[in-house]
Amino acid sequence: MHDALLARFRQGDRLALSRLLTLVARGESVEAILAGVGPPAKPVRVVAVTGSGGVGKSTLVGKLIETARAAGRTVAVLACDPQSPLSGGALLGDRFRMPARPDDAGVFIRSLAAAGGQGALAEHLDAVIRLVESFGFDVILLETVGAGQGDTVVRDLVDVLVLLLQPETGDDLQWEKAGLFEVADRIVVHKADLPGADRVEAQVKTSLGLTAGLDVPVFRVSSRTGAGLAELFASIEAAPLRRGVARSPRELLRRAQQLMTRRFAERQNDPALRDVLARWERGEMESVAALLEALATT
Amino acid sequence: MDTATVPVRVVLAKVGLDGHDRGIKVVARALRDAGMHVIYAGLWQTPEAVVRAAADEDADWVGLSLLSGAHLTLVPRVVDLLREAGLGHVRVMVGGIIPEDDVPKLHAMGVARIFGPGTPLDEIVGYLRDNVGTRDA
Repeated sequence: MHDALLARFRQGDRLALSRLLTLVARGESVEAILAGVGPPAKPVRVVAVTGSGGVGKSTLVGKLIETARAAGRTVAVLACDPQSPLSGGALLGDRFRMPARPDDAGVFIRSLAAAGGQGALAEHLDAVIRLVESFGFDVILLETVGAGQGDTVVRDLVDVLVLLLQPETGDDLQWEKAGLFEVADRIVVHKADLPGADRVEAQVKTSLGLTAGLDVPVFRVSSRTGAGLAELFASIEAAPLRRGVARSPRELLRRAQQLMTRRFAERQNDPALRDVLARWERGEMESVAALLEALATT
Repeated sequence: MDTATVPVRVVLAKVGLDGHDRGIKVVARALRDAGMHVIYAGLWQTPEAVVRAAADEDADWVGLSLLSGAHLTLVPRVVDLLREAGLGHVRVMVGGIIPEDDVPKLHAMGVARIFGPGTPLDEIVGYLRDNVGTRDA
């Protein structure tokens, strides 16, 4: 039923890509659309850029766009920001921190609202990535907030996971707590023009050294001065394409999580759910009891 | 999925040299809280960047805030570029300080609605909800 759109997509019409992305991100006709666009003509490198809020993900992505374009690569960016689980609304502000030239057809930037909260992953992200791949970009940069479990989920969807840290983010125990290093393929100490970057780099390297075989390259990068950007991009391009490995239990759990999120989103106006929420709001129910009852309504 | 849960996508931007962004921030938050997906551009955008955002983001609406007095120059530029880009279905609303005499001019240029100072936020939310265009696909 999307034949006209799919035909335009195959002819390289980016408005068709944009429209189909909306449908797929919403979970509409996903199978039919993916079948209609077909597999990508060439392998695409999918790179996640992740880290805490304020660490400079959007800024670095903006610089990576420039670096990739200078190297003759076309780039698509998928920027995930959180969406309210209650209203479903989202404020997506990342694309304007990535000052791509508006007339450059080699850059496509799309903001995605990530439902849920845990694991800042946009719904149907795997399908969204496949759609963008089929359109024919060389590199896909996926920007997402994440910590711990969220990053683990992201890792399964990408070839290279770049974890961003910055100076003055706590002592070295912080890295151990977050358990981030096991999922990172590249670690960037961002804002390396600020004091303390060398200390963070040393801490990270020490921390990595505690696990045998954990050999993750660490880069000091400053988006302000441009230092380290070329080295980082070269290293990203040299990384093996990891995706397409066997199915994992983690993957199934991720889909179960997606399903729950979608069900709640679909039932915002469900009288039974609204009733539970209202009673809890009035203090007539304990939180745990209300949660269980809310779950039961789906 | 129930159409009521399909989020309206809105690109909000200030174009040109105009440093007053409190109004657009208040509107951005209200639309977000009403369940919409707001792609917030903020200050000092060019018409070209706004139109590229509307294209890549599959926007239903573009909202421009102007308090600079340059609306008769910048707004038609955005409207024309949208049409040239094949985005005639994207509706344009304008907020800010627009003299009464200029309101019909902007409407004639293709602006769907103009919201002046003091407009209740519910009015903006309700209007956007009720006026999402239907598209061929």
